[in-house]
Parts: sequence; structure tokens; C-alpha cells
Amino acid sequence: MLEARNIAKSYASAEGPAPVLRDVSLTLEQGEFLAIVGRSGSGKSTLLNILSTLLAPDAGQVLYAGRDVTRLPEAELAALRRRDFAVVFQMHHLLPYLTALENVLLPFMTGLAPAPRDAVERARRCLDRVGLGGKHHRLPGRLSGGEQQRVAIARALVKEAAILFADEPTGSLDPATGREIVGLLQDLNADGLSVVMVTHDLGYASCARRVLRMENGAPACAA
Amino acid sequence: MNLLTIPLRCARRKWPRFVLLTLVFALGATSMVALWHVSRVVGDSLERKLTAFGANILVSPKAETLAVSYGGVSLGNLLYEVRHLDEAATVSAIRSIPLSANVAAVAPKLVGTAALGAEQVPVVGVRFDQEQTIKKYWRIKGLFPTRENEVVLGSALAARLGLDFGSAFRLGDEEVTVAGVLSPTGGDDDTVVLADLTLAQRLFRLPGKVNFVEVSALCAGCPIEDIVAQIGGKLPGLEVKALRSVVEGRMASVHFVQHLTLAVALVILVSACAVVGFSMLSAVNERKAEIGLLRSLGYSRAGVFAIFCSEAVLLGAAAGAIGALAGWGVGREVVRLLDAAGEVLPAFSPLEALAVCLGMALVAALAAAYPAAKAARIDPSAALVSL
Ligand SMILES: Nc1ncnc2c1ncn2[C@@H]1O[C@H](COP(=O)(O)OP(=O)(O)OP(=O)(O)O)[C@@H](O)[C@H]1O
Ligand SMILES: [Mg+2]
Repeated sequence: MLEARNIAKSYASAEGPAPVLRDVSLTLEQGEFLAIVGRSGSGKSTLLNILSTLLAPDAGQVLYAGRDVTRLPEAELAALRRRDFAVVFQMHHLLPYLTALENVLLPFMTGLAPAPRDAVERARRCLDRVGLGGKHHRLPGRLSGGEQQRVAIARALVKEAAILFADEPTGSLDPATGREIVGLLQDLNADGLSVVMVTHDLGYASCARRVLRMENGAPACAA
Repeated sequence: MNLLTIPLRCARRKWPRFVLLTLVFALGATSMVALWHVSRVVGDSLERKLTAFGANILVSPKAETLAVSYGGVSLGNLLYEVRHLDEAATVSAIRSIPLSANVAAVAPKLVGTAALGAEQVPVVGVRFDQEQTIKKYWRIKGLFPTRENEVVLGSALAARLGLDFGSAFRLGDEEVTVAGVLSPTGGDDDTVVLADLTLAQRLFRLPGKVNFVEVSALCAGCPIEDIVAQIGGKLPGLEVKALRSVVEGRMASVHFVQHLTLAVALVILVSACAVVGFSMLSAVNERKAEIGLLRSLGYSRAGVFAIFCSEAVLLGAAAGAIGALAGWGVGREVVRLLDAAGEVLPAFSPLEALAVCLGMALVAALAAAYPAAKAARIDPSAALVSL
């Protein structure tokens, strides 16, 4: 359902462009759980951000539903991000002045129309599902790191996206909490959500159905 | 919960910043509104004071002239008829124009000569109350007449005839006493007998008639052309003309005061805008990651622009409300301290307050337009920087 073809990306540096990704190709099937692992600096985050349209590649294509998303006009790209793709970052990105529930509802607050009633209901259920029943109206500052990450996952869940992109969602959590989060992602995947997760913890990676190892800007081997 | 929830919650959470910015903006609004009230009152009262220097509109019969020539020799223009105006009709017509609130005085006049002993002296019939409004510079030795058969003498005439206040004499067919003698004015009034209009009408056997009417109009709020046109509309067939030099001289002073106020108000407003604009700009820079997050969640550029603009609109409207109220209060106090207006203190108008609110909201939105546009250009990848 998602296919990357010959992705290349380099960042500008003092000594000219520094290549980070060279010729990366991969496919993600519907309902798959793909883990991307590799050493620090191998380009995992860069690849994930290109797949989730947050970064534009220098060369190559990312095909989703038969279309090259790297060349979509601005409005369609925004619609894609709003509906089909969901992202979870390492640092639980929440707006500090919105409650947990409001943060989860952010994807439904993009216009002047109020968030639909059923979306609010679903948001409550998503928060309950990630184990935050009773904390719907807390501000992020009064939630633990793990709880904040759960809010971010609930936000990805609520819009019933097709693919969830997660960049080290366990990175800032203790191992036990990290395992819970990955377990949660596994549950969601079992319900049909496609997941792409970056991690450098091989223990978590083993939970995935497929692992892609990055080495010096290219996939080394696929297990 | 919709797009506007975001700026509202943000303002609530960061309320010290929001309150501070609102106060800065409200300060701008307050001083503008206060200056506006003061300048309006001061402009009015300044003009009322300047009205002391004469009438600015003249209403007279159309002078019918006929160019006469005979056998190719021009005999010049003949003024072939002197028509009189009906006093009551003319004055009431002038008093009933839509802009009648701007009419400060209506001074009808009848001019002629009458026998005083062996010689003929010029007599001007006036309504003394109206005349005194127009000629605030008049100083009198004695009193202004309170009875019909009392007159006022010009200083030069009184000196030549050896008369003083209290003197009685026969003018035409009437017995009159001198109520007062004008101090020298340097004008036409020095050489005439000023009589009550009714007395003059009897003297010249022209009951209810006048030669012309001088009008003093206040033009701080509207151009004199409007007043002239309205009087002309009520009195077709008469000549109504603005004494332009009088108006211009008078309005120059009033406009100077108003322009000065406007300039000061603009400077204040621009500074307030700069404060809001810069603070918004730094907020945008601080909240780059937040904006990136919104963009990665599928918020359009227009949506991000709206979030920042609506925060400014909220701020501007709040500042406008404070400014309209505080500005009115401050303006009132200043007017009271200056004692410029007598009893007329500026009145509070809810409609004006609403206009100030909307205006300030618009101005704040303009001030925020550049920072908001900058926010809208931020890429989703900005979210990758940790918050
Ligand atoms: N915005 C940027 N500008 C310049 N260089 C960058 C930028 N982002 C990443 N890089 C460089 O690109 C390389 C790959 O970075 P990337 O973040 O993709 O690595 P990673 O595999 O996710 O590492 P980690 O496991 O530490 O998160 C690194 O050498 C990094 O220094
Ligand atoms: Mg990374």
C-alpha cells in the first residue's frame, strides 16, 4: 500500500551535501508492522519522515494509493496528513495548553466547524483504550512521559488512519513503559492498522513482523 | 472545539503575555479615543471662540444689474432695484435647515439713513442678541439696549456729535436715548447708529423687512458648502454665499488642532502595532515546533494563518473595548480639566465603542498579518525539532 522507490536525501553541511539516504526502496503491505532499526545516524528518522511526507526527498518516489505523494499539491498533502497518515514522535508532541482530550481531537479541529460529536466520542474511547480513562481533561504538563506518549498514540488512533508512523515512540520511556507502548502498537496492528516504527532497541524490533536494518543510508538486510 | 479553540486556550494559558499585549494595545486605543474626544470638543469650542471674528455666510437678495449702453456708449451697470427680505420668513428658514445645530447666530440687518438734527446719519437696525454672538469683540461704554427706543452709537459718530450714553435726541420721527457707546472697533460700526431692528423698520417704514442676513455657522463637523447649499435650498431666489476667507482662516486653526491630534494618535497606534507585531513574531519563532506539529496533523497553511490572526483579533477587540471605555473617561476628565467645553462633556456612544472594537481588531489583524504569514510558511518538518 506504501512503496518507496530509489529514495535519496542529503543534508547541506560545511563540506558540501552530506548524503544520508542513497537509493532506498521498500514496500509496506496493508496491515504490516515494519520496524526500522540501525545505528544512530544511519538515516532511520530521515527515511521515516520522507515516508510520512514531513520531509521531501531529493530524488525518488513515495507511492501511496497509486500516487506519488512527494509531488502532491499542498492542499491534497494536508488532506493526506489529516486523514490517512498518523505520526507519533519520540518526544510526545502535544500542545501544552490543550487537555489530553483536546490534543486527541486536534485532527478534527482544522476548520471552523466544531469537532463532530462522534469524533469526540471516539476520542474518549481511544483515550480509554490507551489506558487514560479518567485523565481526559488533564493538561500534558500534569501527565507522565508514558501517559503523554499514550495521548499521542490516541491522537493517531482517533482519525482511523491507514498507516501509523512512529519514530522511537519508546525513546523517552523506561523499559517497562516502553514495552507497554509497543504492546499497544501490536494490538492496534492486530486490528488492521499498518505500522512503521523506528527503534534502535532490537528487543522492541522483534515484536515487528518485518525488520529493516539501515546501515550508512541504505537497507542492509531485511529479516 | 474548532480551530479557534487553539488560540483561545493558548491565550488563557499564557495569560500574562496576553494581558500585557492587550494592555499595550488598549493604551494605544485609549489615547486615540481620548484624543479624539478632546479634539472634537476643543475643535468645537475653538471654533466657537473664533466665531467672535464675524459671520461666515451672507444671505441677500439677488442683485439684479442691467448693463446699459446707448449708441455704443456704455453707461455702466445699473443696479435697478433694491429688494428687501422678509425678516421672519428668512430667519426661520435658516433656522430650520437640517444642519441647524451648526448655526451659531442669525443676524438680520436693515440699513438706511435718518435725520439727526440738521444732518443725515447712517442707521443700522440689528437684533442685539444675535449681533453680540457674532461680534464678541464689541466693548461698550454703558449698556446694550434693553428697550426698543434705545440705541448704541459708534465711537467716531458719538465723538463727532458730542453725545454720550444717557443722551437723548430725536432720530427721524422717533425719540431715542443712547444706552451705550461702542469702544472703537476699527470697522464700519464706528460711524453708525445701531438701533433695534424693529425701531429701524419703523423709522424707514419697512415693517418686517431687512436688507441682508449674516449667518455664523460652525464648520468643525461639516464643510460650509453643505450649510450654504441647505440655506440656498430653503431660500430659492436669494443669494447665499460663503465668506470664504473668514471660513478658511477660522478652519485653518481648527484643522491644525485636529491634524496635530490625528498625527499623535497615529504615532501611538503605529507603536502599539509594532509591539504586537514583534511579540507575535517572537511567538511564532518560539512555537515553530508546535506549528510544525499542526502541519503534520494536516492543518493547512490557511488554518495556521487563521490561528495566529484570530489571536490578534481577539486581542484587538479586547483592547478596543477597554480603549473605548477608558478613552471616553480620560477624554472627559481632560475636557473637564481644560474647562474647554463649558457643560458639554463628551457623551458615551455604544455604537462608537463598537466601531472602536472592530477597528482595533482589524488593526491588530493587520499587525499580525506578517507574523501569521510567516507561521503559515513553516514546514511540517519543523515538528521534528523537539518541543
Ligand atoms: N536537519 C538536518 N540537517 C543536517 N543534517 C541532518 C539533519 N537531520 C539529520 N541530519 C544528519 O543526517 C544523518 C541521519 O540522521 P537521522 O536523524 O536520520 O538518523 P537516525 O538514524 O534517526 O539517528 P538516531 O538513531 O540517533 O535518531 C545524521 O548524520 C544527522 O547528523
Ligand atoms: Mg532518529
